Amino acid sequence: MATQLRLRSAKILLFNLGAIGGEVIKNLVLGGLNSITIVDDSTVKEEDFAAQFFLPNDDSIVGQLKLPLVIDRIKELNNRVNLSIDTSPLSSIISNPDFLKQFNLVIATELTKTELIDLNSTTRKLNIPLYATGGHGSSGYILTDLIKHTATSEKDAGNVLRQANTKINRVKTITGVSYNESDNKETITVLDEYCPIADIFNSKELPNQLNKRQMKRLSAAFPLIFALFEIPRLEDPESIVDKDVLKSTALSVCESFGIPSSLVTEEYLEVFSNQAFAEFAPVAAILGGTLAQDVIQYLSQKESPINNVLILDSIKSEMPIYAL
Amino acid sequence: MAKDTYLKKVLGSERYNRIRSSKVLMVGAGGIGCELLKDLVLTGYGQIHIVDLDTITLSNLNRQFLFRKTDIDKSKSLTVANAVQSFNYLNSNLIPHHGNIMDGNQFPIQWWSQFDFIFNALDNLEARRHVNKMCLFLKRPLMESGTTGFEGQIQPIFPYHSECFDCQAKETPKTFPVCTIRSTPSSPVHCITWAKEFLFYQLFDEADSTELNSADKIAGETDDKDQQENLAKEANELIELRNSIISKDKDVFFTELVFKIFKTDIERLLLIDTLWKSRQKPNPLQFSEYESELDNLIADDKNTSILTDDTKVWTILEDLYVLRKSGESLQKRINSGDESSISFDKDDEDTLNFVVASANLRSSIFHIETKSKFDIKQIAGNIIPAIATTNAIISGFSCLSGSDYFKVDAKKIGTDFSSFMNHSRTVYISIRPNKYITSALLSEPNEKCASSSLLSRGVLRISKSDVKAQTLGWLVNTLIDTYDYEEEGLSISLGQSRLIYDVDFDDNLGTKLIDINGFKDGELLFIQDDNDELENLELYITITGEGTLTTLPEFKLRPKKEFAEEDEEDYSMEEVDGNRDTIIIDDEEEKAIDDIVIEEPALKKRKVVE
Repeated sequence: MATQLRLRSAKILLFNLGAIGGEVIKNLVLGGLNSITIVDDSTVKEEDFAAQFFLPNDDSIVGQLKLPLVIDRIKELNNRVNLSIDTSPLSSIISNPDFLKQFNLVIATELTKTELIDLNSTTRKLNIPLYATGGHGSSGYILTDLIKHTATSEKDAGNVLRQANTKINRVKTITGVSYNESDNKETITVLDEYCPIADIFNSKELPNQLNKRQMKRLSAAFPLIFALFEIPRLEDPESIVDKDVLKSTALSVCESFGIPSSLVTEEYLEVFSNQAFAEFAPVAAILGGTLAQDVIQYLSQKESPINNVLILDSIKSEMPIYAL
Repeated sequence: MAKDTYLKKVLGSERYNRIRSSKVLMVGAGGIGCELLKDLVLTGYGQIHIVDLDTITLSNLNRQFLFRKTDIDKSKSLTVANAVQSFNYLNSNLIPHHGNIMDGNQFPIQWWSQFDFIFNALDNLEARRHVNKMCLFLKRPLMESGTTGFEGQIQPIFPYHSECFDCQAKETPKTFPVCTIRSTPSSPVHCITWAKEFLFYQLFDEADSTELNSADKIAGETDDKDQQENLAKEANELIELRNSIISKDKDVFFTELVFKIFKTDIERLLLIDTLWKSRQKPNPLQFSEYESELDNLIADDKNTSILTDDTKVWTILEDLYVLRKSGESLQKRINSGDESSISFDKDDEDTLNFVVASANLRSSIFHIETKSKFDIKQIAGNIIPAIATTNAIISGFSCLSGSDYFKVDAKKIGTDFSSFMNHSRTVYISIRPNKYITSALLSEPNEKCASSSLLSRGVLRISKSDVKAQTLGWLVNTLIDTYDYEEEGLSISLGQSRLIYDVDFDDNLGTKLIDINGFKDGELLFIQDDNDELENLELYITITGEGTLTTLPEFKLRPKKEFAEEDEEDYSMEEVDGNRDTIIIDDEEEKAIDDIVIEEPALKKRKVVE
């Protein structure tokens, strides 16, 4: 079957094997993808033991290069997946089209905004779909630039038959419909179009797709996650992000996206200032599961993948998706 | 040490410390259990008990990441407890129990009462109901979870404050124990499930049988010599069969397939006498009767039209023809090198034909009605596979939501869970273009739910000395004093609806409790108000040591509520909402243990004179 073939011929590149990276790789390896290359030049830190379950249970590995320590344990899950590791510096790979062009799909975890935009400009040129994800304690995000995606699936036909070349929304178009009278089903082809990730950060689309009530209910996790893209990662895991800096950054994020500044509540500021860049196993499991599922969805071409911003807010138990 | 830096930041020091010193129970160590245990261990729970009655099978490996090929046939609970040691960075104390959670001897109520929080990771309704009931008895918070294909949900249950598992009628999925599928099928769907999930999967799909249990590996797993031989034999034959897809030509592969699967394996089953005491014995396929006719059929290319005759129920000869043709085609695809393995897909003709033909051949061996390709396609399409990523997501939510309970000091709130009603949520995965999940605040218990509302429940802790010295009359008076029943205004049943006292039946009043048949540890007392003013009361008997103090649960019985007839009908309507026949393969084989399995409160009284 075409789906299986696509899964088994997919060559995937994964940036960073942190908590979410570990969940993503576990799911993809169990799913039986053809080959996965992991890029990570980091060394093991004490705080990694919180949520990175491929690490050997041995305190003396702190300070050693991470990937060589975990690769065999990942291989154990499914020895038919071709796994390889690369510990060269991220910066040398992000801007290297000759390296990137070997892959069908790139997954970037925990990159900075600059790294992400640089990487995306190359994946765009090479026409390679890109997923980006990261977490802040009990919250997190998935951003996608899959360029273009066509999904074909069978749906029950309604009273009014669907028409080809109708736009579902700004980014989704029904490009083909074929009706099967015998079982009253329609085979529908949906085209998803994506914008570069740099455009997500400057998007003015959010007010257009939320009504007044939805806007009022918008989670503060949205501006705060985007605010943390503007704040450097903490060197010391014990330290926290200054609340005032976070607040002023979040307010300018609100202004830029055209959303009310009243969203940024004290409760969320407190949470995000404490939890910024922290890894948390259950959240990594949710994001890593969702992302791996969506990668399989993308490759199977049956349903539309995430287009293009998913926010996980576990305070309100929400995972909204916005097309920015 | 700063291993827990992030946990302290995310959970807060107080909550983290409570989690560190907590004792939790996880029931089920399968698809959800493997993922959930990983999350619980990484979150730093102090002590985690794991219960599962199952052993590991080949089909578990591609989605239950804690299991390896070398673990096949080992206990799931013991294996997961060992497996997570490799990342037990915070030294959680893991205590596995191999057994059936419904077994009241292995898991009596005193055992349950040690846990602060209970996580369900089960795949069948019966066990879920049992855990739910125990949590109601003990007023312990429970996190319920489940997945089917791409869908899944979690439901936090705070006894008598939020809906319990039984408050909403559940669509009963058709689940089959593994042994029905593999040894004693009795309906077409059993054979179709076998053909798709076992035969096809093991021959063509991911299952890496080349490394599957070589004889010496099996030897390490069981001491039973016969079992060793049998396991080794089956495993080796399967390896040979899978290998012959590549090494042998199409005639040899087909003949070996038919002989092993439809003759040798069946003959082996026939040797187990106990299986056939109350069942009709299967008839192994006599291939020689069909061989020459089949050759003629194959010789004429026009007969390929059989393959597309979807609505006809094929004869045994035609099934053999289709098996041969589809097997040949699958063999060719594997050998062309394009596909290293092939997964079942109902829209992939070769895979569907292979499953239809082998399911029908098995059906005829077991004297079961055979079906058309069209019908089998529908049934096979509704067998929903478990999906690893869904389990991962739901387990994440289960762990996350469970950790909310430790935000408060359990000693302060006791069993008053009202504060959770404002933020704890049920979560459903429902993938839409604009959201991935749907969540909702918890609902109040359903007034019509027999488990949650019609009665109060608690544990009667009675000392051994009182059981010996006191009479039933003493118990009746104690109940009247504690719960404000009117004098002579109550009736008591013991165990399965056996009346031991009411106003017209006072023969036992002078009998010592120890002499009342069935008054023992783990039994249930069911007490009704004869004036129908107070709700029913269910007490779980726990006999404590000599000289200890006898205690009854402290609560006030609520006024009994009456329900209009039509409401009852509404409720029963909700029960029938499954419009599709969803089939879920149940990895677990449940043994019903009726010790403390309690269904609706029994209202029929039966008089027994001691």
